[in-house]
Amino acid sequence: MEGIGYKILGAVLTTILAFVVGMFYGGFSRKIIARIQNRVGPPVWQNFLDVLKLLFKKTSVRYGVMHHLAPLWMITMSVTTLMFIPILKDGLFFTNLNFSGDLIFLLYIMVFGSLGMALGAGATGNPNTAIGVSRGLTQMVGFEIPWVMALVALMIQYKTTSVTGLMDIQSQSGTWMMFSSPFAFIAALLAMPGMFRYSPFDIVGAPQELASGPVSEFGGKYLSTMMTSGSIFAFVKLTLYVDLFMGGASNLIVLVLKTFALYLYPVLWGAVSARFRTEQSVRYFWGWPAFFGFIALLYAAF
Amino acid sequence: MNSLVLLLLIIAGGALLSYFGHRINQLLGNITVFIVALIIPIYWFTQVDFTETVSLTISGFHLEWGYNMYGKLFSMIVMILSPLALIYAIGYMKDQKKLATFYFSFLFSILGMTGILMSRDFVSLFIFWEIMTWSSYLLVIFLGKDVEKTGIKYMVFSALGAYAMLMAIVIINNNTGSMMLADYFTAFGGFSLQTKLLTGILLMFGFALKSAVMPLHVWAPGAYSNTPMAYTSVFSGALSKMGIYGLGFVVVNLFAHANMSIVGDVLAWLGAITAVLATFSAIFQDDAKKLLAYSSIAQLGYIVTGIGIGTELSVMAGLYLAILHAAFKGVLFMAVGAVERQAGSTDMTVVSGLVRKMPFTFFASLIAIIALAGIPPLGGFVAKWMLYESLITNGNFLMVIMIFLSSTAAFLYCYKFLFGLFLGQQEPEFDHVKEASPLMVVPMILLSLFLMVTGAYPGIVLKYIAAGMTNLGFHDVSWQMSVLTNTWGDSVNFQHIFLAVVVVFVAFLIFLTWRGYKHSTKVSTKDISVSGEMIKPEDNMTYSKDFYKPFERVLQPILKWKINKYYDEFGKGLEALFDFMRRIYTGNGQTYAVYVITFLVILLVFSKSIFGY
Repeated sequence: MEGIGYKILGAVLTTILAFVVGMFYGGFSRKIIARIQNRVGPPVWQNFLDVLKLLFKKTSVRYGVMHHLAPLWMITMSVTTLMFIPILKDGLFFTNLNFSGDLIFLLYIMVFGSLGMALGAGATGNPNTAIGVSRGLTQMVGFEIPWVMALVALMIQYKTTSVTGLMDIQSQSGTWMMFSSPFAFIAALLAMPGMFRYSPFDIVGAPQELASGPVSEFGGKYLSTMMTSGSIFAFVKLTLYVDLFMGGASNLIVLVLKTFALYLYPVLWGAVSARFRTEQSVRYFWGWPAFFGFIALLYAAF
Repeated sequence: MNSLVLLLLIIAGGALLSYFGHRINQLLGNITVFIVALIIPIYWFTQVDFTETVSLTISGFHLEWGYNMYGKLFSMIVMILSPLALIYAIGYMKDQKKLATFYFSFLFSILGMTGILMSRDFVSLFIFWEIMTWSSYLLVIFLGKDVEKTGIKYMVFSALGAYAMLMAIVIINNNTGSMMLADYFTAFGGFSLQTKLLTGILLMFGFALKSAVMPLHVWAPGAYSNTPMAYTSVFSGALSKMGIYGLGFVVVNLFAHANMSIVGDVLAWLGAITAVLATFSAIFQDDAKKLLAYSSIAQLGYIVTGIGIGTELSVMAGLYLAILHAAFKGVLFMAVGAVERQAGSTDMTVVSGLVRKMPFTFFASLIAIIALAGIPPLGGFVAKWMLYESLITNGNFLMVIMIFLSSTAAFLYCYKFLFGLFLGQQEPEFDHVKEASPLMVVPMILLSLFLMVTGAYPGIVLKYIAAGMTNLGFHDVSWQMSVLTNTWGDSVNFQHIFLAVVVVFVAFLIFLTWRGYKHSTKVSTKDISVSGEMIKPEDNMTYSKDFYKPFERVLQPILKWKINKYYDEFGKGLEALFDFMRRIYTGNGQTYAVYVITFLVILLVFSKSIFGY
């Protein structure tokens, strides 16, 4: 019973941690982008205020069960993925259920939420959401290729498919995978802005063109749930990258530092990039990033 | 009487009874079909003795029938899917004509499939194979649409496959002197390399054709779309698995164990290419039936890859995918049939917004699509996981990338299917649509429940797969109820995954719904945010045409190659050749006299070399 108690407590704590850190990162990114664009920008805690405000807004219209369930799928996905990633290398609270899942499972569960949101958005009948979803799915085919190539290269090279296994190898050998599998790291890094849907790959939610695409019909509690899910998911992805390539973290401070360092890459690059069209982004991902992924696969196999 | 013979007699008798029942009266025919549909699986599951064999000798050929675990595994697919499809067909075919022939052919194809799975010798295998082929051909041309293009194409390709098999059977008989499958397997090691390749590849040709492996897949899109949807669920779900059954034997039992795994590797590559190209074709289809047809080809590509690789985990993955594919494709084709019947069309640019009118159909297709896409926590992910793990641990990294590409691209057509038919704008011309009749909905829901259960407890199905794999040469295949392990020791616990997802889902559902749900009003899909415009009800805001145009632009170079073009060119070339040869028959009696005299002259002049004196 004690084990279960700690596990549940750990799950809740992890979710809260992910939420807080994710929100702060969002706030930091808004501040940084604003400064680059020579503005003052909102305060760093602005995301919290946004979520709270949305939480207390009443939604006056709904479109049916699928629409109601869509934010639910997203947050279920984010929290479930969170449970299966080791946040810290060891410790009582933050390792959660990571022994029951592996990388392939993580790859697939990450799609679960987008599918749910896509379905819910489709249920509203807004053509903007449909266009946004079709673009989002097309882009996903784009960035998944180098990302999967990088992961498969890691799995083949170190003969393990679990994240804890890869972290153990890094702590045993003492070098980060960033340096022992450089091509995989480059491919995964190049795929990262696609995963985060930051500029130049933000055509999915283009506010000027599509009325924010898939989220255009969600307000109030739904939107707050989606924002929460988005920030948790951002934290999840960053932690996954840190675990795989930068040796994981043994305490929270190091984790925050590492994830923030990694997070600066899509933010800074996105701040100065123009937006790609959908077919341009897919062609980009199937070009150099896929090339590096391919090199990584060859490097891993021989 | 021997229970196996009785089983075949029941199915054949059921076919005849349904035929006559429908000739007399539709209601009587429907009741007969319903009773037959229930009797067959009940008899199979309870009364059939799987250890019995039947031996017949007919005009010098020794026929032997009996079950082994591998055949039993595939029979389960047939026996579960076919009755549900029959019950569905009662509702689907309600106002159509010529129902007697429909049910007769349907039940005879089930007879063919059952017979194939219990054949222990090549002659009965071939006989039942042909029974299955012609009865499905009768159903492909049932609606009379595009008989020349699709029906004849199907018949020609099936005939090609059958003749290849026949050649292989004759060569085997020549070499071993017997028609038994078991004798072929034991004697295979002693064949010359030439004979091994010849017989194996000829047999594989016939089986792979039924499984629509590229480039032999060109009959499938037309055949799957033009058949009545009630039968397509069996056609795509069970019939294509007959090819998998055969491929499993040939590739795993023979080649892999004879250290010629290169054949399996080639097959695996063909499967991977099929998966990728068929998925790309499926994405751009506007007709839901064609989309599902191409999707079937792609899924069969996965299965063939799994079997081709030949390791324990990959064969398990392939067989598990085969079972799941029967279930979820069955549901999807049934759903498309329901939409077709209720709304009148399956073109996704025409139909939209049926989710509120047909909620059960939507729910069943949602579960089936989630299983197809391989998303946890449903069963499809289990199969995909096993496939990826086996490919990675085997080191086939390029193939893994291709399968991943195909899987990710599959999300595109999955979404298009759901969005195009069910979600999106509700147009006034579909206001009259009602949910399909219970006869059609209940089979779909039952199959969806099966998909949900196997997501958490894949062991239920794995038990039978592991037993079946002993016939393929794998012994002591280990399996657990909820945990899967790969050869490196990494494991995934599916029960935990399912539990985690469900718990989190319920927790947040309570949070979202607790306050606020009742305060909001449900609105129609015309009430959307359009930045200040006023939409009139008659404005068509459905987004369905060119749904994935950006992706099409990316794939433009690949989509230009169509295998159909090569077949057409080959066909035209043959036609030109025949046209030239036609000129021999001039219709003029004097020319024929000249032919005869020339022939006699040649005989006389060369009589020494021809006859020897």
